[in-house]
Amino acid sequence: MAEVGHEGNSVSEPLDLVRLLLDEVVCVKLRGDRELKGRLHAYDSHCNLVLGEVEETIYVVEDEDEDDEIKTVSRKSEMLFVRGDSVVLISPQSRSY
Amino acid sequence: MSFFGFDTPRHNPAATGFSQVHNPFAGLSGQDNEGEALEFEDTYDGLGDQLEETNDAFNDDTFGDDSAAVKGPVGKDFDFFGQTAKVSNAIEEEHVRFQRQVPTARVAQSAARVAQQPFSQTVPAAASYNYPTQSVSKPARSGYEKYSQEPVEELQVDAALWGVAPKKHTAPAPAPAPTAVPAPTQTVFYAAAPSSAPAGRKILSLEEVEAQMRAQAKRPLHQAASSPAPPQPQVQLHQAHPQMHYEQSYQYAHPVQPQVNAQADDLRPKEHSYHLGQTQPQPVYPAQTQPVMILQRPQSKHAPSPQPPIQHSVHQRQQSATPAQPTQILQNPNRLSGDAAKLGIPSHPTPPTQINPPTHPVHRQQDSFHMHPSQMMVHPSLLGQFSEEDKVAYLDQEAKRAKRNHKIYQMSRDNGIMTPQDKNFITRIQLQQLVAATGNPNEHGTDEAFAEDFYYQVHNQIQGGHRQHPSQPLNNFAQTYLFQTGSRQGGLRRQHRGPENHMQRMEQQVQRAVEAAKNKPKNKQLVIEGSLGKISFSNAKTPKPLLNIKRNDSASEANRPGSAHRTHTLNGRDRKSELRSIELVYTTLMKMEDHDRIMPPRPANDIDTKAIHDFIAWNNEAQALNQQLWKALRVHDRPDSNNVHPFIALLSYSKGMKAMQRIFRRTSQEQRITILTLIVVNFDTLDVVRNAQATTGEMQLNAAMRENVELFSASVMSTLFNIMNELELNLVAGVLGLVCSRNVDVIAKSRIGVAMLTMILSRAEIIKQSSGGTADAWHSWDATYMQFFNLLEPTLPHVFPGTVNSGDDIYVWQFLAAIGIEASPDQQSRLVLAVKDRVMDTVTLAKTLPQDLATPRLQNVNLFMRSIGLDVELLQ
Amino acid sequence: MLFFSFFKTLIDHEVTVELKNDIQIRGILKSVDQYLNIKLEDISVVEEIKYPHMSAVKSAFIRGSVVRYVHLPAAAVDIPLLEDATRREASIHAGKAK
Repeated sequence: MAEVGHEGNSVSEPLDLVRLLLDEVVCVKLRGDRELKGRLHAYDSHCNLVLGEVEETIYVVEDEDEDDEIKTVSRKSEMLFVRGDSVVLISPQSRSY
Repeated sequence: MSFFGFDTPRHNPAATGFSQVHNPFAGLSGQDNEGEALEFEDTYDGLGDQLEETNDAFNDDTFGDDSAAVKGPVGKDFDFFGQTAKVSNAIEEEHVRFQRQVPTARVAQSAARVAQQPFSQTVPAAASYNYPTQSVSKPARSGYEKYSQEPVEELQVDAALWGVAPKKHTAPAPAPAPTAVPAPTQTVFYAAAPSSAPAGRKILSLEEVEAQMRAQAKRPLHQAASSPAPPQPQVQLHQAHPQMHYEQSYQYAHPVQPQVNAQADDLRPKEHSYHLGQTQPQPVYPAQTQPVMILQRPQSKHAPSPQPPIQHSVHQRQQSATPAQPTQILQNPNRLSGDAAKLGIPSHPTPPTQINPPTHPVHRQQDSFHMHPSQMMVHPSLLGQFSEEDKVAYLDQEAKRAKRNHKIYQMSRDNGIMTPQDKNFITRIQLQQLVAATGNPNEHGTDEAFAEDFYYQVHNQIQGGHRQHPSQPLNNFAQTYLFQTGSRQGGLRRQHRGPENHMQRMEQQVQRAVEAAKNKPKNKQLVIEGSLGKISFSNAKTPKPLLNIKRNDSASEANRPGSAHRTHTLNGRDRKSELRSIELVYTTLMKMEDHDRIMPPRPANDIDTKAIHDFIAWNNEAQALNQQLWKALRVHDRPDSNNVHPFIALLSYSKGMKAMQRIFRRTSQEQRITILTLIVVNFDTLDVVRNAQATTGEMQLNAAMRENVELFSASVMSTLFNIMNELELNLVAGVLGLVCSRNVDVIAKSRIGVAMLTMILSRAEIIKQSSGGTADAWHSWDATYMQFFNLLEPTLPHVFPGTVNSGDDIYVWQFLAAIGIEASPDQQSRLVLAVKDRVMDTVTLAKTLPQDLATPRLQNVNLFMRSIGLDVELLQ
Repeated sequence: MLFFSFFKTLIDHEVTVELKNDIQIRGILKSVDQYLNIKLEDISVVEEIKYPHMSAVKSAFIRGSVVRYVHLPAAAVDIPLLEDATRREASIHAGKAK
């Protein structure tokens, strides 16, 4: 597991971690109780993203009921650009198989 | 309580001051602050009484004492805020009072002062007279608020403003003597120029103007007789030029033509008493001059008639008596000489410029006059004569007009603040920023611009560069990159069609092999007899497969827990470091691709040492990068503790698979074969093999794994297929031997594994058909095949994915066909026995299916049947 | 500049811009700048009934900062190239940081 090469192999910045997730399925948490799951195709230093085969989940608190039920709304998109200022966190999606 | 102990409530909050934000619409809010007017004594804090007054005597030395105010007693009113606010209203108040009370002789004076106030205040001045307290409490005003109120009756009768009938004046209230009638229209032109004259500046009647012109026309004649006087026209031109916006002070400061002055002086005394009454409306004009000028200027060209709208009856009556001709003269200075001629002025050639002194003020007034009809059509004093509706409509219109004028004034306020040069400069700054943002077109193609705009540039080149700047030639760099990425993109494109293409090629290869095998039947007995009974007989005859099955089953059972265990630990392996390795591979690949772009031309001869040197240096760098890549691939690393080779681990990631084609383009043949060997040796540890085992049930692989299998097939298998088709027989046999060293059961039960085995077998068959391979190699191959078949046989019934109904098993039939071709008669019998059930099931199912669905299924089966010299036809 | 570069290749394609106030506007991407301000033409609002005030608008300039998502036509995106461009962008940034 020797570090190969003199650069690029050491994670020095947070975004270097994101680079490792390129072309991987990631979970993105957004402002406004939203989550995205999709394959990361692009990112930049502002956390602008392009995700492929995205599933968006929106958590909506239903105020009508007394018990504040949380409803989820799901939407799909083939290819999605996400503006960075909405992004809260980007995490790797654990493999499901 | 204020923090510092100041008694804040005593401060006048309504006073205009630093702490108060100017609110132009405060007056529109309609709040009633009438009760808030503050008395000085209420706000005075008494501090003035404590002032030290010793040595105040020297104040005069410092400030001078020539002003009357200084001589009076020094007041205590240092409340600047409150006082200033009061004063501003007092000015208005005073103004109104002035007009009502002050003898008309001083009207011109007050007009001068009104002129200094903003236009919007002249009308409000009248209204504010009735609401002094309100004005005090609302120092910040827009000037529009007064339009929300109706003028009060008292003001309407105040005709003094208009000059119709000053109450204290001796002149009769209605229009004066006929000769004086033109005064409001005409003399205004002339007299408004001196409107700010301190006292009794002349206002000329028509006759006087004519007289003046005549006098002037004569004077130049005299002058012309004595001397041509060339400098004079220049001065006069300069004088004639200034328009409305000239300060009035300019009028006086400017050295007016001497003869005009003389004339004016002559005229003044006799006209003085009688004209003043007529000229009272003039105060309105100077105040309104500036804002309207912009609007009205065109009008002065097209509509010389100064007649106001008809509905303003009083005014009209005055106007109607006005002789039209003199008006025109005054309005168009350019026509002056011509008109003057009509009027009986001597027709000698008078240079127009000579007449300019009188026309100068005339010209000025012309504009101010023209704004007149639309500007101030009816004085509030006339409103009383209107019906209620008209009044409302009128006020409405007035308000709109005032608003509009104010807006125009606001908009035009900064007109001309920038010179064309300034604008040009700003434009250049903006252009520069644009260029900086989008990149200089000249810089396209440089490394930096390319790196910044990589996606767009390459995308465009791939798309044919139709959006490229047409005049921009693709420079060398872009061309090499186009070629380079083009080939890469071509590869990717192929990859998109990859699964098909690669599968088709394999299918074709197998089909060709089958056709070839059919043409030289090996087992006549099978062909002739062609009955399954015979085969079942051989089944009964050979219990070995059963034994084999048992043995291998137990073997695979033994392996399963192990593989399960591996799976478990694999999930826990260092994913981050694996991803890091892949990214390093990509980084290195991109470096190599960049390096390719700067490849120097191959040295043409041995003399050009620099070229040779460059080329060698480039080559060395390329070698170094290749080694870097090789190292990043970790081909020679040892398997980690989880028994998975690091390179194989890379292939469990989609980007690892995708990198294969690019890696193969950047590696030597030797390196490629090493990679192939490595993959085959570790085939059963591949994610897409180990975790994608065929199951007999309906259960399908999950979507992610199916995707991965597709991707592996498209990217890795197609790459390996290309290498495999270049291998010699001994190497093919070696590869098969490597497979035998692994868990054949696991390999054969995965789609990728089956594809791999088919690939190996069909390659051997191709070599055989092309009569390739040495005898030794064939000997080695046969032995390896025998071993392989024995290993495979127990698994054969289980290689089919899903049930018969699920279909998707064409790759298995291809695989079986590939085995069948290579198999000895004995092996063929065992083969048929192993898959007999599936054959029969498929044939049975095909009978229940519609023709178009049944045919492909039967064809798939037949692919295998024919490889061993049989046909599904025989089964039906 | 990666996304500026990226969006330039999507000019004349139909995209759906989802704003942070949940309005979704579909239209032809006509231009984009380095702030990812977007100009759309032939627009239509996805939930027209919910946002009737936009129905009369035929084109729109959208300030980049109000955008939440842009739904893109997948066919117009060259994924391998985009990922490579992202890697290059990342290495440029790493290079600048050093």
